[in-house]
Amino acid sequence: MSEPHSPPQVPESLKKARDAFPILKRTVNGKPIVYLDNAASTQKPQPVIDAISHYYSHENANIHRGVHLLSTEATAAYEAARGKLARYLNANDESEIVFTRGATESINLVAHSFLEPILQPGDEILISCLEHHANIVPWQLLCERTGAQLKVAPIFDNGDLDVDAYLSLMGPRTKLAGLVHVSNAIGTVNPIEVIIEAAKAKDIPILIDAAQSVQHMTVNLQALDCDFLVFSGHKMFMPTGIGALYGKRSRLDQMRPYQGGGDMIAHVTFDKTTFKKPPSRFEAGTPHIAGGIGLAAAIDYIEAIGRDVIHEYESQLITYAADRLKAAPGVRLIGEPTNRSGAVSFVMESAHAHDIGTILDTEGIAIRSGHHCCEPLMGRFGISATARASIALYNTPEDIDALVAGLAKVNQLFG
Amino acid sequence: MNSDLKALYRDTLLKHSRDPRNRGEIEDPDHSACLKNPLCGDQITLYIATRGDRIESARFEAQCCSICMASASMLTFRVEGMTLGESDAFAATLAEAFNQANTPLPLLENDELHALEGVKSFPSRIRCATLPWEALREAISNKQ
Ligand SMILES: Cc1ncc(COP(=O)(O)O)c(C=O)c1O
Repeated sequence: MSEPHSPPQVPESLKKARDAFPILKRTVNGKPIVYLDNAASTQKPQPVIDAISHYYSHENANIHRGVHLLSTEATAAYEAARGKLARYLNANDESEIVFTRGATESINLVAHSFLEPILQPGDEILISCLEHHANIVPWQLLCERTGAQLKVAPIFDNGDLDVDAYLSLMGPRTKLAGLVHVSNAIGTVNPIEVIIEAAKAKDIPILIDAAQSVQHMTVNLQALDCDFLVFSGHKMFMPTGIGALYGKRSRLDQMRPYQGGGDMIAHVTFDKTTFKKPPSRFEAGTPHIAGGIGLAAAIDYIEAIGRDVIHEYESQLITYAADRLKAAPGVRLIGEPTNRSGAVSFVMESAHAHDIGTILDTEGIAIRSGHHCCEPLMGRFGISATARASIALYNTPEDIDALVAGLAKVNQLFG
Repeated sequence: MNSDLKALYRDTLLKHSRDPRNRGEIEDPDHSACLKNPLCGDQITLYIATRGDRIESARFEAQCCSICMASASMLTFRVEGMTLGESDAFAATLAEAFNQANTPLPLLENDELHALEGVKSFPSRIRCATLPWEALREAISNKQ
């Protein structure tokens, strides 16, 4: 048996991880930075920064057009990134990867191109109480346009999804089920395998919001067999402005274009335009080429360490964080899910989340305070805001200890 | 402790946030408004009862941080007896001054509101201090 709250060992391949992230060398308010806001956005390792810099220094050109060498090289690099991502997620085919700006745009794309054309008044869209606004608001807007209804599956007091309730809300009129894989606000890991299985049995298309899972655990699309999956690169060591929509090829084939413009057309006349096959059909205009190149470099970086190593270590670290916080004076955890990944949310008797955030900031500790774009979930817990610590592979037990020490200062000031 | 932090969380501010004055509803207010800071979810509802053109009392309900709470508490005290026009103008200049790094708050020396001066060193917290004053202006423009 290990001690209660004994800190995890940092594995050999992660001992130098911090050194790869130049920003982690800077100080904040005179203190070395303790970055615990990774669910909002992760920092970028040197190989990603170098890949972007190399691209702009040596290969920059527009893609899918032009026969000159730079354009050919840029096209090859961008398309190689798509292939790399398809393999990383174990998609059936790289044409199932649509590059987007991120999770938000991916969900909006599905709403517009997949669901809107088939939605009738009275049809239903099912989501859960754990969703980020990005997996709520696009559906609400769509319901307003079409007369469809949004159904929301409840959670238990510990922050676990009420799976039975979710399954029983999958009815004959459910035209899409959406579910967050890992809650950004409270860290709940949802049993998506069970939910996807049930959706398939009922022939309901299902979308998984993997914005908080692809960086922490292995996501195997062929094993999961969901219809859609979305994520944002910037939460996974990649640049902002790049992310992806995975869509089953049979679904993508039937979908109408999202935006119109260059690169997505097969043939244009003033009378009629025909469109390319997926994924190009959904990628109008010049894309974020450097973003794609940074994405590929980030995948290489993660795979060199090993996803299993990262997952194992992070699971221990977030458990350590939750245990330490739970035992800290005046701290109450919000959400104590059966399976936790990445994040832990809490409130304090003595101080509001913002005050906690400000005081920790003066100690060089970056956390997030607020509703985490999950206002309905906050409402479910009867609060308007939490303080949230969220980890990445470069965080250490010492970071958690610094956080807990910072909270003692909060109590000192406000207690 | 960090000196900016000390200046932010002055005793007066902490006193008001722990034990805010005039917290609660006014039934049948002459004016009221509910404002939210979408960035953080802080929410405040301000109620005003008037006699003629003058504010007889102001009360508030809030789910918010210590700075917003203290600011609201001080506000309810500060605007009592002012005309609606005066308090609106005062709220406008105050909010403006919070957002100007080099403009001191337009207050007399012994005004309690000086306790909020420290937020100027924390740009991400300025809105916490100004939210109640924005709610006041909104309430004044909402006749019940
Ligand atoms: C679970 C979840 N879904 C969706 C999003 C939206 O991501 P983005 O803003 O990068 O599109 C986030 C980001 O916070 C998230 O955590």
